[in-house]
Amino acid sequence: MSRFNLALRLLWRDSRSGELTILILALIIAVTSSTAIALFSDRLQRTMVNQAAEFLAADLVIDCSTSIAADWLTKATQFGLLQAQTVEFPSVLIEHDELLLSAIKAVSEHYPLRGLLKATRTEDYMSETTLHAGPERGSAWVEKRILSALKLKIGDSLIVGEKPLTISHVLTYEPDKKANFYSFSPRVMINEADLAATHSIQPGSHAHYFFQFSGEPQAILDFKQWLKPQLNPSQHLLDIHEDRPELGAALLRAERYLGLSSILVILISGVAIAMATRRYTERHFNATALLRCLGCQQQEILWLYSSQFVVLGALASALGCVLGWFAQEVLFQLLKDLLPQQLVSPSFGAVLFGFTIGIVVLLAFAMPPLLRLKQVSPLRVLRRDLEPLPASAWLVYSLSIGVIGLLIWRYTADIKMTTTILGVGLSVLLMLWLLTYGLLKLLRKWLPSMNLTWRFALQSLLRNTSTTISQILAFGLTLAAMTLSFTVRTDLIDNWQQQLPDNAPNHFALNIFPEQQAAYQSDLQQHAIKGSQFYPVVRGRLVEINHLPVQQFVSKDSQGENATHRELSLTWTKELPEENKIVAGTWWSHEQAANFVSIEKKLAESLKIKLGDLLSFTIGSQPVNATVSSIRELRWDTMKPNFYMIFSPGTLDAYPSVYITSFYLPDTQKDLLNSLVKKYPSTTILEVDLILKQVKTLLMQLTQAINYLLYFALMAGFTVLFAAVYATLDNRIYEGALMRTFGANRSFLRTTQWLEFGMLGFISGVFAVIVSEATTFFLYTHWMAMDYHFSLWIVITIPLIGALFVGAAGFLGVRQVLNKPPLRVLREL
Amino acid sequence: MQSQIKQTLNAIILTEDLGKAVVTSEGTLHILSSIDLIINPGESIAIIGESGSGKSTLISLLAGLDTPSSGSIKLKGKSLTEMNEDGRAALRNELIGFVFQSFQLLQGLTALENVMLPLELRGDKNAKAVATALLNRVGLGQRLSHTPKQLSGGEQQRVALARAFATKPAILFADEPTGNLDSKTGETIINLLFELNRENQTTLILVTHDPILAARCQRTIRIDAGRIV
Repeated sequence: MSRFNLALRLLWRDSRSGELTILILALIIAVTSSTAIALFSDRLQRTMVNQAAEFLAADLVIDCSTSIAADWLTKATQFGLLQAQTVEFPSVLIEHDELLLSAIKAVSEHYPLRGLLKATRTEDYMSETTLHAGPERGSAWVEKRILSALKLKIGDSLIVGEKPLTISHVLTYEPDKKANFYSFSPRVMINEADLAATHSIQPGSHAHYFFQFSGEPQAILDFKQWLKPQLNPSQHLLDIHEDRPELGAALLRAERYLGLSSILVILISGVAIAMATRRYTERHFNATALLRCLGCQQQEILWLYSSQFVVLGALASALGCVLGWFAQEVLFQLLKDLLPQQLVSPSFGAVLFGFTIGIVVLLAFAMPPLLRLKQVSPLRVLRRDLEPLPASAWLVYSLSIGVIGLLIWRYTADIKMTTTILGVGLSVLLMLWLLTYGLLKLLRKWLPSMNLTWRFALQSLLRNTSTTISQILAFGLTLAAMTLSFTVRTDLIDNWQQQLPDNAPNHFALNIFPEQQAAYQSDLQQHAIKGSQFYPVVRGRLVEINHLPVQQFVSKDSQGENATHRELSLTWTKELPEENKIVAGTWWSHEQAANFVSIEKKLAESLKIKLGDLLSFTIGSQPVNATVSSIRELRWDTMKPNFYMIFSPGTLDAYPSVYITSFYLPDTQKDLLNSLVKKYPSTTILEVDLILKQVKTLLMQLTQAINYLLYFALMAGFTVLFAAVYATLDNRIYEGALMRTFGANRSFLRTTQWLEFGMLGFISGVFAVIVSEATTFFLYTHWMAMDYHFSLWIVITIPLIGALFVGAAGFLGVRQVLNKPPLRVLREL
Repeated sequence: MQSQIKQTLNAIILTEDLGKAVVTSEGTLHILSSIDLIINPGESIAIIGESGSGKSTLISLLAGLDTPSSGSIKLKGKSLTEMNEDGRAALRNELIGFVFQSFQLLQGLTALENVMLPLELRGDKNAKAVATALLNRVGLGQRLSHTPKQLSGGEQQRVALARAFATKPAILFADEPTGNLDSKTGETIINLLFELNRENQTTLILVTHDPILAARCQRTIRIDAGRIV
């Protein structure tokens, strides 16, 4: 019979006798959770990215003012990408003696590559249908405002440029409609084939070309990388992360949370695997000594056990993969009302990842303790006190750190950040090790002055300092991982809710003349509509910085470049707008003279503008100069008017201005819009409620998903913690049984056991707080772009939870000492 | 002189000036000193002595479980002291059988599997048949699939005997084989041990406190304070 068969038989026997239960459990948890998370996040991410891509109607878009080189399109075809083009330009429509400035959009075949169009053919707009393609040749789809403004109806002819087209649909939704303030003209969508016949695009026309691409993520990435160096300053690349920061940031954070959860669950399971293997190893010293005595060589011993572990790893990982698959299916079922209908299918790669993780985690965390078996002396058959040397600390830590490092690297794709995280983590661990060591020394000093119960409880902890320290670090790490999972998730969700509170403004009102402003404001107040401040807007262009042309300061594709290529909305205000924060300089006082400007931080950085710099603008043909007196940080995603440049009051008084505001209008008060439009016909109202709803739905889905992941991590954490406590019990059970034979009563033992494990849990909890707070601080400031807040609540509760849980787990684990005759306990060990 | 040379050449176990010392905080402690032994094939030897006299150390050195501080050991002409741990392990598998006071059965394995173990380690294809026959021989034919926990102390030691003889070892080391058994069971086990020893013509090295048991061996070696007396 081969050695492998022997290994299998030993494995079978061990698993039947319960020797491997904890190990298998920890491994299955690790694989189930990492497979489930990998599958879930992979599917969710791809679904979300697909959904988010709807906002672009593609995966990648080149935005430019002229057509692009034909070989770029050929290259895209070579990459296997599907293509579509749209051309947008303004055009004045004249029908029935009415004039209307409209935004024409000519769409090619395959548009939209992502998402759907919605339109209706009936007057009541009730029977909205979803469509996969734009207008056919010869027809036009128009927004309903066009019909009312130009007194048209479906079936009528509409002349765009020089081309008469038939209105076939009322357009109710286009996925890639931009929500900026300057695209508020009503839409007319036509077929690209009719574009030439309109004769609207002439050299020098103000047109925007959007070349859209979709395909496999890798192909998109490859194409993007190929394309980027070739873009000229007037060509911009848009993808979901770059073009829609409010969605991009949410997705990025969610992706990072998913990654973080995955690492944490693996870490928790790894700790349990290491502890369970340690117990397994210790329980196999005698058997190994016998095998050595019977002639097994050291390498054979290693082979015998490691082959068992590989088989075990493969089986547990396979089972974990199946369970993980079901878990993510259940998760998607639970979330099915929230998630998009069109879910992408699970990827085999994610399952493979889970399986690999199982084997790698097992080997990394189990090998160091397992290697001790190789060192068992055959003499142990005669002398039970002979124990092999513990595995070298270098080996133990480098293997597990290596695996965790690889995982962090996988999720961050940033080697510098990975090494920083590992460096910080190791320093914290070292510090904790020293702290625990010091604490135990201190306790040893106090020991003689304590009463018997406390003394016994503490003696157990002090007897084997290195074991106690490793237990505290293991429990501390597990609790820290759970705490981290909880706090990051809570802060993430709070952050999103702050980003888009329920009554976030969902309409913008533009072009309000100064004489209308007071009346407009009072109309909104009359209807109890909460709005933001009214800001005057003057359009102007930044031309010089300290008398040098601004072009000298811009770099390609930067925010500065974008801002200097167009007119900016310039405003002035006495008070610093809400959610703006001064990061340099001071906000002007009331009596301060005019000609000061406050600039947004990122733009200032991009254009290298400092406090005291002189900025020159042109408004119309007039020059205006202002000195930078402050730099502001602000959030662009608040759905309130935000400005790059805010001037001190008085600076722009000489120039004609219009006002802008934003307000929240619930669905029930939608009628009010009509009356506002009627009363103030010159104003434009931009409805962003649909876009807001999309963003909110997305965030809600992510929140739900993240909640489930948290439950998963917590469940894994508690199970593993429980299992890990069990893995440390043999010695304690033995000592408890001995104590009983010496006459210790059950209540004494019960109290000392509670105290011992409670202390262990409490100290671990304190360390968990230190680790999790340090990590949270690091993650928020360096990785997730969130504000760190110290939480007193965490500081108080986690040590108590640690004490309670580890105390209870330990107590339950050793209760057999209390309930069984001591001799039986001693014999069974 | 010639007969002594012949005896040395034939010896299955040969030690010269064997010693074992350990360094403690209070200086070097000599556990065994100047042990010279010649043991012939098929001989049965009892090693007796007080607790702490060095009996177990001697047996562990002879069986290659431990390494001496000085002197040499040859088993069947092969120098144990010149081998590394893996070499000694191979030699143990080839030449040596063990019976321990605490039986040392693998708890997870059945009686049959425990007996099969040394055969399987050798790659013996007939492991099952050999083990079954041996278990029948020691009277446990009906208990093949029982695990050690389901067997009494005497039965466990019988399994250990069957395991020890499974590979037909040239030398059998028995360390207080009746130490954990009552006198009646102990006697049965010893009878069985000697019967099997005779049948297999094994060299038996028996460590015991029991003078009656020692008397059943052909030769007795008394150890006191680490020396043969």
